[in-house]
Amino acid sequence: MTIEMQKGREDEAMKEGLTVSTDVRTVTFGSKMKTRGLRAWFGKSEVIKGIDLDIPEKCVTAIMGPSGCGKTTFIRCLNRIHELTPGAKVQGEVMLDDENIYGPKVDAVAVRRKIGMVFQKPNPFPTMSIYDNVAAGLKLNGVKDKKLLDEVVERSLKMGFLWEEVKNDLRKPGAALSGGQQQRLCIARAIAVQPEVLLMDEPASALDPTATAKIEEAMVQLKKQYTIVIVTHNMQQAARVADYTAFFYLGELVEFGETAPLFENPQKELTERYITGKFG
Amino acid sequence: MPRLMDLGMDRLQNMLLEMGKLSEQTVATAIEAYHMGKNLQDVNRWSINLKQLDDQVSELSIELIARFQPVASDLRYIKACMEISYGFYRYGRYAHDIMEVLETFGDLTKCDRAVVETTAEKTKEMIELSVEAFANKDVDLAMKIVSMDDDVDDAYRGYIAVLMKSRKVDLRCALSQTLILRYLERIADHAVYIGKSVYFIVKGEEPAFEEKS
Repeated sequence: MTIEMQKGREDEAMKEGLTVSTDVRTVTFGSKMKTRGLRAWFGKSEVIKGIDLDIPEKCVTAIMGPSGCGKTTFIRCLNRIHELTPGAKVQGEVMLDDENIYGPKVDAVAVRRKIGMVFQKPNPFPTMSIYDNVAAGLKLNGVKDKKLLDEVVERSLKMGFLWEEVKNDLRKPGAALSGGQQQRLCIARAIAVQPEVLLMDEPASALDPTATAKIEEAMVQLKKQYTIVIVTHNMQQAARVADYTAFFYLGELVEFGETAPLFENPQKELTERYITGKFG
Repeated sequence: MPRLMDLGMDRLQNMLLEMGKLSEQTVATAIEAYHMGKNLQDVNRWSINLKQLDDQVSELSIELIARFQPVASDLRYIKACMEISYGFYRYGRYAHDIMEVLETFGDLTKCDRAVVETTAEKTKEMIELSVEAFANKDVDLAMKIVSMDDDVDDAYRGYIAVLMKSRKVDLRCALSQTLILRYLERIADHAVYIGKSVYFIVKGEEPAFEEKS
């Protein structure tokens, strides 16, 4: 983030009076989402233990931590996917702007439309063409205007950094693309329905460095329009793309702050040990 | 179980400890040469060695960054090591410069050398402290170096002030001692930078003091 951008964001946040105090660092920004006392269970096992986190708007926020720390469950709570798992339970608040997405009158499907998700393993609809994969969400929402669909497909594929590679093969099956291309197709599919937030669960963990770089470049471009939350095991990836980083351990938020200072001088011993590989 | 990177980090530490000792010895020998009024060629050789070691520290540091992408205390340590290594190299370089003064001006034993000798002792102590502070990651020693710097600065500036007011000066003594005091003052500055780097390694932030220009 440039100093000017940071300054602009701080000024904006100051106007709104938003100051978030974690237990280790004070961070000031405009929040898109907030969790308050968020807890989640699989059966009797509590995997998220009361997390308060503010997710900055139009930034990339990375969630990192060792396996089993609850980072994937956390982001699955952010768009109400966690509750689809049998025996799963959620408690606490997740605010999207000023609305609790777990409020009694809130439609979970509408929430998932506003908060899109890209999964670890690329999952294009196997029988659909590249074009139809991207247009599927809009068609489900009743959009039939061919011109509009064409525009959205092109725009989404461009934002997913895939257009140049597939523009002459839009009728090819999505499943025929390489792994990296499939993942970018999934990103294009997610943004075609114009979500406000994009959740990405280790989107590049199965990709080679070139494909990973393209996903990361896409993220940096996408954050101009979307708020992005990414779960990653790859600390260098978090350091490269994230404006803010949260470190989770055993279902708790240990440390949260701007990425550069967190990686240069973490305030918590646990964070220090984890990111320097001295854990365990 | 040690991390792979620790092999390189240990090597870095050892190289710096070696540089610390060598730089201490180089400056001490240059000062001894001044006392004795003769040129000791070892200083120039050691000064070149220090430059080579500084280059090796840079190479190893870059290699560690490229291979292991260190963060947090590891990254701070490598960054600080590069700065400390440069400081040790500069000690050697100023010792070499002192030898050049002796070569240029010849025997200075007849000059009034009180200020230079006192300042040289102070500077030597600062060097020793900087090496020890790094070896033991001792923040208190690091801060002690900082507190000693003013004396060396004052000696240099004070000497010039006295010269400016003097009606009769021995030009050879005045020039040579001004140069040597200047080099000692620069050595002291590098000791301060090393102290600051040690503080940065331990605390993760720059010490909160203003350095004099």
